[in-house]
Formats: sequence, C-alpha cells, structure tokens
Amino acid sequence: MIIPVRCFTCGSVIGSLYPKFMDMVESGMTPKEALDKLGVERYCCRRMLLSHIDLIREVGKY
Amino acid sequence: MADLEVLSEDGGLRVKFLLKDVTYGFANGLRRAILIKVPKLAMEDVVIYENSSALFDEMLAHRLGMLPIKADTSLFVFRDECVCNEEGCPNCTAIFTLTKEGPCTVYSKDLQMQSTDAKIADPDIPIVELLEDQRVILECSAILGVGAQHAKWQAVNGLAYKNYPVIEVGECTLCGECIEACPEKILKIKDEKLMVTDVMECSLCKSCEEACEKGAIKVNYDPRAFIFKFESDGSMDVKEILRKALEVVEKEATTFANNLPKRR
Repeated sequence: MIIPVRCFTCGSVIGSLYPKFMDMVESGMTPKEALDKLGVERYCCRRMLLSHIDLIREVGKY
Repeated sequence: MADLEVLSEDGGLRVKFLLKDVTYGFANGLRRAILIKVPKLAMEDVVIYENSSALFDEMLAHRLGMLPIKADTSLFVFRDECVCNEEGCPNCTAIFTLTKEGPCTVYSKDLQMQSTDAKIADPDIPIVELLEDQRVILECSAILGVGAQHAKWQAVNGLAYKNYPVIEVGECTLCGECIEACPEKILKIKDEKLMVTDVMECSLCKSCEEACEKGAIKVNYDPRAFIFKFESDGSMDVKEILRKALEVVEKEATTFANNLPKRR
C-alpha cells in the first residue's frame, strides 16, 4: 500500500528512506549499493525497503 | 567501581559503549530501563475532520503514532500527573495540525506545530499520498509516555549487549584454519603469530575453536564487562537517553533499598 513508517521488527524509522532508495535504484544503483549507502544495516530493515510495492496510487482511484 | 566508556557515537543517533565491572543483573537492568522507562513524546489523540484518502482513519492515526517527535522532555509532564486533570494543556500536550489537498504526497514536515517545544524528528516520512480532490484535515496531540505502555513511546531500537570477548592463543601451528572459519574475519597471521585484529567484533561463536585441530585457540568472555549498542529513533540524543535510563536505575534502586526492613 504505502511504505510503513517504521521497520516491523526493530522499529527503526525507514519511511523517509523509501523515496531516496527508489531514486537511487532508478538512477542505476543496485539495491544492495543503495541500502548500504543509506546506512540500512540490519536485514529486517533492508527487507522493508527491498520488498515493498507501492500501490496507494492505484488503490486511491477507487 | 562501575566504569562506562563510549566506544563510538554516530551523530547522536547510534552509540556503542563498554560497561565494565558490573554484574549481569545491572547490565540487564540498564537495558530494560533504556528500553521501557525513558519518557518521550508520541501522538496519542487524533481528531480527523476530513479524510478522503485511500487510507482508513485508523491507518492514518496509526502512521501518525509511529512518527518520532523531538522535544525537550523536561518541559513536559505526564498527563495523569498534570494540573489540568487529564484534560490536556500546554504543560502535558503538544498539538499538531494537518491540512492538505491532493494531488500531492503528505510528508511529516507538513504537520503544523502549534507549540515550539516539539517537532517531528524526521521531516521526510511519507504519511499518505493524495490524488485529485482527496483531502486530509486533522488535529493530533502528542503526550509523554514510556515504552512500557506502548512501543510508540520507545526511544531506542536495536538495543543489545554482549559480554566482552577474550581470545587466548596457545600452541599455534599457523595452519590458518581458524582464520578461514571466523565469520567476523578478525583473525590474521602477522610476524609468524596469530593475531586478533578487533576483539570486540567477536560474536563468541567459537567457530575458530572447532576449526583448530590442536585446540590451541580458546574463546572466552569477561563476565563483568559488557559491550552495549543501541540506536535512537531521532527523538532524543543517545547520551541523553542513557543518562535518563541511569537516573531511573538509580531512583528505583534507592526506593527499593529504602523500602527494605532495617537490619537489626
């Protein structure tokens, strides 16, 4: 739906990283490089960004 | 005498420190105090006047609750201890308002503060995305609480401690098996001797012990020294969190000692 504000497991704030993460990936970085650059260390937080699918723009129409 | 040494600190958000000459009980007591007894502000009440976004009201309120709020907590009192009789006043409550019309993304920086004492720690958190003709108008108030009540009042994450590792090398044949086995890559051979590059990175897994046929390497730990690390969510500086947690431990220990029956 929309990127969660915090990591489900550890509670670290990851919401604000998602737009930056997407910009980096779209500009040709691999997700690994982008996550490392953003300082997302733990795999719980990494999966939050990595596996998220933003659907709110599609759902918002209805 | 207990001793605390800060090993690394990263922008007030991450800290790693060494606590020496304390018992397990004290180390765990400190961990619990940091986690559940340090007060901070978090959203409690949300009044939604209009919400035509794709997210339900509850979802929106939940997202607001998760936002880290930066404030000097000494300026606030707990609502149930406040002179306003739990009605909410500037002493115990920080009020934010939000009015936004699509198409746009609503970020945490769009929340308007009604007092200067508190602000959202991270300005770029997306709260909701609005399409054409969608509107969000709401008012929310943040109050002081502790992690024991709800995780939204928990100021830290990634909080953990481990014992200080002690690695002893005996009759080594320099075969290099342990260097291969170490997942943290902290062993190396230098000047015909097996060296430990950074003993604090050792995770006490004992893979090197298993790999060594001669049994020359021994991994042990100091039961009275602890390496702590934790991160702040942005609502407070890590040192401030640590100081407050230590105050809590001191206060509770004093109360406990005072309540014990006097020795005859």
